[in-house]
Amino acid sequence: VLLIEFDPNLRFLPIGGYALNSTARQPRDESQAMDTVRFGVDIGGTFTDLVMLGQDGRVETCKVSSTPGDYGDGILAGIDDVRRRQDVDASAVADLVHASTVATNAILEHRGARTALVTTKGFRDVLEMRRLRIPVLYDLQYEKPPPLVPRHLRFEVDERLGPRGEVWRPLDEASVEAAAEAIREAEADAVAVALLHAHTDPSHERRVVALLRRRLGDRVYITGAADILPQIREYERTSTATVNAYVGPVVSRYLSSLTRRLKANGIAAPLAIMQSNGGIMTAEAATLRPASIVESGPAAGVIAAARLARVLDLPNVISFDMGGTTAKTAIVEGGEPAKTTEYEVGAGINLSSRLVKGGGYPIKLPFIDVSEIGAGGGSIVTLDSTGGIKVGPLSAGAVPGPACYGLGGRDATFTDAMVVLGYVNPAAIAGGRVAIDAARARQAVERAVAVPLGLSLSDAAFGVYAIAVASMTRAVKAVTTYRGRDPRDFVLTAFGGNGPVAAVGVAQALEISRVLVPPAPGVFSAFGLLFSEVEHEFVASRFRRLDGIPERDLAQSFADLEARAVAALTADGYAPGSIRLRRAADLRYAGQAYELTVPIAGDRASPVAVAEAFHDEHRRTYGHRSDRDPIDLITLKVLARVENRTTDDDAFVGALRHFGGGSGQRRSRPAYFGRDHGTLETPVIGRGDLDAMAREGPLIVEEYDATTVIPPGARGRLDGFGNIDIEVSP
Amino acid sequence: VTADAAPSRLDPITFEVIKHALSSIADEMALVVMRSAYSAVVRDSMDYSTALCDRNGEIVAQGLTLAVQLGAFPDGMRRIVREFAGATRPGDVFLFNDPYGSGGQHLPDIYVIKPIFAEGSLEGYACTMAHHSDVGGIAPGSVAMHATEIHQEGLCLPTLKLYDAGKPNETLFRIIEKNTRQPVHVLGDLRAQLAACAVGERGFLKLIARHGAAGLRPYLAGLQEQAERLMRAVIRDIPDGTYRFADHIDGIGETPVPLTIQVEIVVAGDSIVVDFAGTSPQVKAAINCPVAMVNSCTYCAIRCMAPADIPNCEGYMRPVTVRAPAGSILNPVYPAACAARGVMGYRVFDAIMGALAQAAPERVIAAGEGGPTLLTFGGWQDGRPFVLTEVMVGTWGARARRDGIEGISNPAANLSNQPVELIEAELPLEVVQYAMVADSGGAGERRGGLAFLREYRVLAEEAVCTLRSDRRDHPPYGIAGGRPGGPSSNVVDPGPNRRILPTMPMEAIRLKRGQVFRHVSAGGGGYGDPYRRQPASVADDVRNGKVSATAAREVYGVAVDPETFAVDDAATRRLRERREAAE
Repeated sequence: VLLIEFDPNLRFLPIGGYALNSTARQPRDESQAMDTVRFGVDIGGTFTDLVMLGQDGRVETCKVSSTPGDYGDGILAGIDDVRRRQDVDASAVADLVHASTVATNAILEHRGARTALVTTKGFRDVLEMRRLRIPVLYDLQYEKPPPLVPRHLRFEVDERLGPRGEVWRPLDEASVEAAAEAIREAEADAVAVALLHAHTDPSHERRVVALLRRRLGDRVYITGAADILPQIREYERTSTATVNAYVGPVVSRYLSSLTRRLKANGIAAPLAIMQSNGGIMTAEAATLRPASIVESGPAAGVIAAARLARVLDLPNVISFDMGGTTAKTAIVEGGEPAKTTEYEVGAGINLSSRLVKGGGYPIKLPFIDVSEIGAGGGSIVTLDSTGGIKVGPLSAGAVPGPACYGLGGRDATFTDAMVVLGYVNPAAIAGGRVAIDAARARQAVERAVAVPLGLSLSDAAFGVYAIAVASMTRAVKAVTTYRGRDPRDFVLTAFGGNGPVAAVGVAQALEISRVLVPPAPGVFSAFGLLFSEVEHEFVASRFRRLDGIPERDLAQSFADLEARAVAALTADGYAPGSIRLRRAADLRYAGQAYELTVPIAGDRASPVAVAEAFHDEHRRTYGHRSDRDPIDLITLKVLARVENRTTDDDAFVGALRHFGGGSGQRRSRPAYFGRDHGTLETPVIGRGDLDAMAREGPLIVEEYDATTVIPPGARGRLDGFGNIDIEVSP
Repeated sequence: VTADAAPSRLDPITFEVIKHALSSIADEMALVVMRSAYSAVVRDSMDYSTALCDRNGEIVAQGLTLAVQLGAFPDGMRRIVREFAGATRPGDVFLFNDPYGSGGQHLPDIYVIKPIFAEGSLEGYACTMAHHSDVGGIAPGSVAMHATEIHQEGLCLPTLKLYDAGKPNETLFRIIEKNTRQPVHVLGDLRAQLAACAVGERGFLKLIARHGAAGLRPYLAGLQEQAERLMRAVIRDIPDGTYRFADHIDGIGETPVPLTIQVEIVVAGDSIVVDFAGTSPQVKAAINCPVAMVNSCTYCAIRCMAPADIPNCEGYMRPVTVRAPAGSILNPVYPAACAARGVMGYRVFDAIMGALAQAAPERVIAAGEGGPTLLTFGGWQDGRPFVLTEVMVGTWGARARRDGIEGISNPAANLSNQPVELIEAELPLEVVQYAMVADSGGAGERRGGLAFLREYRVLAEEAVCTLRSDRRDHPPYGIAGGRPGGPSSNVVDPGPNRRILPTMPMEAIRLKRGQVFRHVSAGGGGYGDPYRRQPASVADDVRNGKVSATAAREVYGVAVDPETFAVDDAATRRLRERREAAE
């Protein structure tokens, strides 16, 4: 449910209830004045969420309208507001972790830099040819995404390496000079350089980068493809480098301006940025590798869920984050979010199925494997030409918003259907700040669904719920069954303004028996930012038959990567003792096209052990293993993570408890649960009204920023951390 | 929107939920094949398809795979349902590739079909087919243009049980293993198909667990009904009439004789009859097209007239009747060779579009590259055989309101290209160039997509190359005054000593180390009069090197400065008026 309408006069919306209740101001004394605070800032399309966490355990949250002109405006205003309310000095801000849509928006709105591409002679069209696949069947009116670099800005240099890095043709520097001159004349602001086989030997590519830099100066942003993605497959590497260059100037302008403005406001804390893989990086590193931050917002939510999984000691968790416009889901196993390197930005929906390719711009960097669909609270309900209900991907956004907001929206949205069902408060939400006009919700659903399909109003609204649940179920399957995981082995963690409304429905569809709704679900993602860790992946492309690699070579390669990792992170100012290294390898049976990533435990990396780990993962994912078949080693990886105080689980638990939960006015209202149950008079309570004793559904838990629906057949209780713990019967 | 939803006896919400679930299962099957397949042609080119069928063997959901193959499942399924009635048991898995008797398309396409049982009763089928990298025969890759009968094309498998009540048919596995040059790839790909069938079965059984077998059946039937009803509504929108079109295959060998694909489409009310009478007789080469694929391509072309929402199940095929004369290239009889039949199927699609352009010009597309060019390189390196199978697409013709698209799969297919770096890492070949070709897009108010060029150098002592291409003598047609796309070409050693190859050489081409082979595809056809194209669009094409300044002037009547790419409005007006005056 979109909780808060866009109101320019009401810029700051402190998340009331728990935050104010639970953070009763304490008189400051000298020792507390020295306490530092940390900020998590998550910019979304509509709102910027801020969470402040004090060393002393204080928590404060705030939702601010996002300011697309300069997102810094909203961030600074939000920080000021929180600081004022908590009486925190600017100098006490020790840390600022940021998730931003700046890179993504530049791509979606085609507002990136004027970018040039330099390739090996004969291959400038690789970027535009792509991999040819069409993401739809039987559509003759299809349009494919235009290349981020038009053909007239793609230049070729004369050189050629072979597949093992052997020089088939030396680099002709005159051809580089000619390209540089053309790029200068074309007034490009960014350049990507992507030469064939540079992942095996980057010397030509690096030389081209150096010559271009000499010729074009520092004003032009330059990316060498093999430096950000030293992996085989020219299109994916070229695309990744191109995206990086395309968003580079935008991201670096944004980050340097934000850093400058923070400093001007007395906040000298280093700015950390959430990467798509869930790790954080310095603003400087993000400036060099902006392609790695395009999914930073969704990643933050998964990191929060992962942390929750760790403190609750849950081996398998599905994170389910439904906001105003999209629903996002991912899995967390053993406290670690599952990753992927097959991601397309701007593909509209990303079902994570890897099958629907070609709709966006591939970035082959490590991402948390998030499956995202265009279904959120503001999603508009329509009927397709077959009379099938569709929820989204068009969204009523914050303006005009759902019909029930009474701001001029006439389209029926998911939220309107939830009001009709009685799930969402029919008078007002957000602690009374947002009035709800239930009559408008009924009219909209009547007109959009009930009349054309000949259904009762309740059945029509329940249909909207069922279809939204079906498409979200598909999104969850994309990250579980499509990866060979059984959702029944997982606990569903629901957050975002709308996650707790639909979560139990999704759980029922997948036979998941347990759902958790953490405290402050509406800002849970921003919360995750404060518990992320600095994380970098270092990779080396190998492409060799595994059984032909001597054990000591394998060990040496890992050791080299680890040395690189430690050097890079110490250069960023982290103590070597705080760096934790983990090894992994991408492998496949000789002849296969897609690798599986296998963790390599400990420091004994014998080819035999690696092979066994791979056979096993292959069986787990695809249901069979072929012990006799040769295995190719494609990539070695070292994941370097910095552990510091921010990784302290106790702080997380403390903050969770801090949110607590307000007590609602105990009351009830009729709510419809489909033909099986009909309309039931349903108790409506606050989170604080729940306790360790399970209460039978139907039950609705209303909070400032979310509504949790516990239908008949499910039971809800409050755990010791403030989570609503829901048991779902099959 | 009308209440044109599920049949009224069914709950419309459950109907939608089941529809979602079925297509998600078919997609999941496709994903399993893609990710666990071994051969490049399956894993990278993605030449395979997946579907789920109901208990009658009728498709209820298609994976996001090859449009041109999806409509070929019915031929094989009808035979399985008929021939194994009562003899199908839980744990069975069927396999076939025989085009003459089993409903196959050509020998490399092996179908793996798993019946799904619930509580002892047959409720559906999980279906996959994949193009295998080699099934024996006279040429590596099993696509020899010069084959004159099917027995030269490899191992022919009638519908057999690969698993019998759960027990693997070891004999059959060993026969397959011994009859391919690529046993690791073929058996690996078969395992990928089996894994996909298992995933399809699991998903289907979950649906049954939720709704009950008896509860699910009416919904599956309802899906077929809905697809049929909606397709009939689309056909009713097309004006009644008889529409004829002829398209051509350049022909085979050094002195090709063109082959005609003649189509007559009769639209009457809510049904369509597509008749190929007048089409050339079958030939002594591998391009004869077994009727399963002709049916499939016809369904695909007609399906493209309809909106995307229609469920992709067999119901939409019901209003369409296909007639292809026996003994013609579109319904060859045993023992006609057919390994390279794909070209014919794609031309069926083109011919139907050409006919429908007269009836529904807003909905069709001008001819594209003509379907995939099939290219194989084979040979020996360090005592081990190597084979490269390339299935190369593609470019689109223009649409009424949109330009064609370059760098895209054929609309009847959904293929991918193979990364140059992977080819070079695994095979003794260099890919010299992969690029778009200027001035190859058919001119028009909407321009056809550009041709692509792909060039290879042999790094082994010797490589044997087979080739199936087309669209040199009969380039892709334009619509409504749009010009045809550029012709294709195949050249060995481009330059002064070049050797031009036929589009369909009837013998393998031997290339020595260092020799170069270059394929240029055809370009897409244009749509509408080129003189009506926006001058700014022409200038943009010139700037991007997609159209030359000369062609801009001569073909489009637009004067573009080749240095600044500015349009000279006055000169453009003069050019365009001059032609009007001449008319």
